[in-house]
Amino acid sequence: MDGGNIFLTLLQKIAPAGVPSWVLVLSACLVGIGILVGLVSVLVMFAVWLERKVSGHIQCRFGPMYAGGWHGWAQSLADGIKLLAKEDLIPLGADAALFVLAPAIMLAAIFGAMAAMPLAPSVYFANLNLGLFAILAMSSMTTIGVVMAGWASNSKWALYGAMREAAQVVAYEIPLGISLLVPLMVIGTLNLGEASARQAGWFGMHWVLFQNPFVLPASILFFTASLAETKRAPFDLPESESELVAGFMTEYSGIRWSFFFLEEYAAMFLMSVVGAVFFLGGFESPFTHIARESFGSDSVAYQVVAGGTLMTKAMFGVFLMMWIRWTLPRVRIDQVMSMGYKYLTPLALLCVLGAGIWEAIFPGATP
Amino acid sequence: MAAEPQGSMTLEEQARVLPSGEREFFLDVHTTDLEVNFGPQHPATHGVMRILMRADGEVITGAQPHLGYLHRCAEKIGENVEWLQYLPYTDRYDYLAAMNNNLGYSMAVEALMPGLELPRRAHMIRTICAELNRIGSHLIAFGTYGLDIGAFTPFFYAFREREWMMALFEKICGARLTYSYIRIGGVFNDAPPGWLEEVGRFCDVFEEKWKEYVDLLVMNQIFVKRTADVGVIPKEMALDFGLTGPMLRGSGVDFDLRRDMPYSLYGEMLKDNAFDVIVGKGEKGTLGDCWDRTYCRVYEMMESIKIVRWCLERIEPGPVLGDIPKVLRIPPGEAYVGIENPRGELGHYVASDGGKVATRVRVRGPSFTNVSVLEDLLPGALIADAIAIIGSTDVVIGETDR
Amino acid sequence: MNFDGIHDRLRVIQAPGLLGADLPRAAIPGAKHGESKDAGRGGDAFVLVDPQKIVPFLHVCRDEDRLRFDVLVDLSATDPKAEDPNLWININLLSVERRQRLAIKALLPKTDLKMPSSTAIYRAAQWHERECAEMFGITFVGHPDPRHVLLPDDWVGYPLRKDYVFPKEYHGISCE
Repeated sequence: MDGGNIFLTLLQKIAPAGVPSWVLVLSACLVGIGILVGLVSVLVMFAVWLERKVSGHIQCRFGPMYAGGWHGWAQSLADGIKLLAKEDLIPLGADAALFVLAPAIMLAAIFGAMAAMPLAPSVYFANLNLGLFAILAMSSMTTIGVVMAGWASNSKWALYGAMREAAQVVAYEIPLGISLLVPLMVIGTLNLGEASARQAGWFGMHWVLFQNPFVLPASILFFTASLAETKRAPFDLPESESELVAGFMTEYSGIRWSFFFLEEYAAMFLMSVVGAVFFLGGFESPFTHIARESFGSDSVAYQVVAGGTLMTKAMFGVFLMMWIRWTLPRVRIDQVMSMGYKYLTPLALLCVLGAGIWEAIFPGATP
Repeated sequence: MAAEPQGSMTLEEQARVLPSGEREFFLDVHTTDLEVNFGPQHPATHGVMRILMRADGEVITGAQPHLGYLHRCAEKIGENVEWLQYLPYTDRYDYLAAMNNNLGYSMAVEALMPGLELPRRAHMIRTICAELNRIGSHLIAFGTYGLDIGAFTPFFYAFREREWMMALFEKICGARLTYSYIRIGGVFNDAPPGWLEEVGRFCDVFEEKWKEYVDLLVMNQIFVKRTADVGVIPKEMALDFGLTGPMLRGSGVDFDLRRDMPYSLYGEMLKDNAFDVIVGKGEKGTLGDCWDRTYCRVYEMMESIKIVRWCLERIEPGPVLGDIPKVLRIPPGEAYVGIENPRGELGHYVASDGGKVATRVRVRGPSFTNVSVLEDLLPGALIADAIAIIGSTDVVIGETDR
Repeated sequence: MNFDGIHDRLRVIQAPGLLGADLPRAAIPGAKHGESKDAGRGGDAFVLVDPQKIVPFLHVCRDEDRLRFDVLVDLSATDPKAEDPNLWININLLSVERRQRLAIKALLPKTDLKMPSSTAIYRAAQWHERECAEMFGITFVGHPDPRHVLLPDDWVGYPLRKDYVFPKEYHGISCE
């Protein structure tokens, strides 16, 4: 796999001769950013619609049905337009600079993390060899945004929400990271594209999930920790509770408020992609194998099928998160903390220990 | 609390002597209590109540409920309108269980007319409506409590059943929420044909759905963890504060007005052992915690179904309104009648001096006393527990403020 | 026990403040509802108590062996007529153990609306007395927290009295 960026490669092919290379690199970055932002926005709109449909059907009702005709597919679009048209409110006494900066920081962090995420085997924004590490590092910067939002809102309830969020996210970073060590031991690389490639094979038997008995508990721990990281129920104290006003988002309205939701669904999607790549085989499925055999690794069909496989797995993860949200009640903050520190972290460490011993005794097929 | 200026004490002075003789040094750290306003508007559908809370971090150190946002002078109005005209006002205090309010007022006024005979069918329909409304009220209590705790789905399931109940009431009296149906002397009009069969079908379907509620929320491990050992009201405290209904039974006191001081048809039901009284047993934690109260309410719904079935088996055709004159003059006297509302004992004290208009209509709303216990229950709890405790008191502010 | 039994017991133990009892009386035969000749009285029987001795009386009611009224159900007041010189204090007790009720009435002269607070005996009385105080202007001596409970803190007048005049406006909002 080449170390460059597909957009750069394309631009180099189509650019006229005299253009200096820094212009090409800059344009490639801008194009990449534009595509990333556009893609994530569309994805988030779809995820919001999906959430409303899923929640509706779980609750014996339909969810959106009117906007756009067929099952209200344009509902998120309509909501987005409405939110754009709303008054931009900054509460009196709020720290205006921090207030405005907080959603921006959260979005910047999550988009930065998504840069390491590949869309298809040859379509990526940055082929980082430290892909997973970059994702974890960048996505944990969203906490800064939350605490800023809570503090800058000049509201006691927002402050409570922000404090809880900070405590919760920091607590669950640990089992998140540790539980990811287990598939890393099996697969041996932090690069998302490479990790996918090493799980190639028929019928998913090379998926990390089936290589080591300690991967299954690690995947459950990872899923739980990712629920806490993305502030989804049953760990959604920071946003839903704080006495049932909207937590750290209380004072936000209009498009700024939708930035928080953009960040939340983007983070959900990101965690699902990480889970799909490192536990469930990433791009690999019987269909990709067939596509690769029939059409070859360079063909567009192969890229589409591989990308589609990853999307499906990620969307399944997102659906699972939504399903759990609408089924379980909320856990109280001290119970969340004690669960994170006293139960999940030791379990994650045990999984790492066990996986390591297993790998030493039965070295896997992966290098 | 008076705070000493920082740094005024030497380190020696700041040390404490422990029982073992050691000295423990502590830094002069002061955290001030945060005064938060659990304001009149909050999404938990209890109504407009304001609780001023003082919290040290997450622990509440003081709580003061402020009421009166929904005070509509019902008692003053009772002295200015005629006896029958007052009935719609009774609907509106505990608007989630309006049939029971109508029943309480009607029974209090009927107590002042000792010669009045109510036809049996009136009693039957009154009981069916009151018990169905009890189920409806407990469904809301259970659904909105789930919503407070964070479980969004049981709320919708509960409302699915409640919609059917409200449709039943719409068929019988035309209204979905405030019925004015149970009148002085009986009920307003007879049930339309097919209504009783539909009530029977409702009971059958409800029994299956009830099992879902128990599995989904009441026995859910996270819900239990949020509500067990939280907001414990010991038995003496419950009696001292004048709590009644599920608040009292959740604390282990086996008392239900329907069984122990029976009115209407409940005396007959006792002979047939038609229903049990659900008392909290401290199954999932301390006796008298929020879980016990929720358990009482949810299981009481099944007992109400049993009562409704008992009535359906024995109801006969007949008149539904007793013989009362068009212009009602109630003989002089005073009467207090307390009935078992879903929230506790709803008492009406009615005083008459022989005229068309009452001298005094005093409404003893159970939520009023239930809210007073919050002053002593909230301090010491976490803020997240405050929601659980307030939800478990199942207050309806219409009844608190009248 | 029925009312007679309770009343007898109170008399036997010489409950402090007990002044008497009033029972429902049948109307004059043939008299119609609302007629002036109808001297009957329907409804409940109640015991009449001296309001200044209400605290020892309630103490006896709560702790006496055969009475055991452990729950204060209601404490309220009534203004029977504008011309009547007294306000009635109506107290209702309930015994959970013995399954019995008791209605207590005390007459407070309107010229001197003071009586001791029953909060020491029943905690439930605290909020009920607050409501009585704001609606009728009764002062409960010894009440730990005499604030308004339902009315705004700066409300003038005692609404549930029969001679109450409605205000024309409140904080600039017209009350017509």
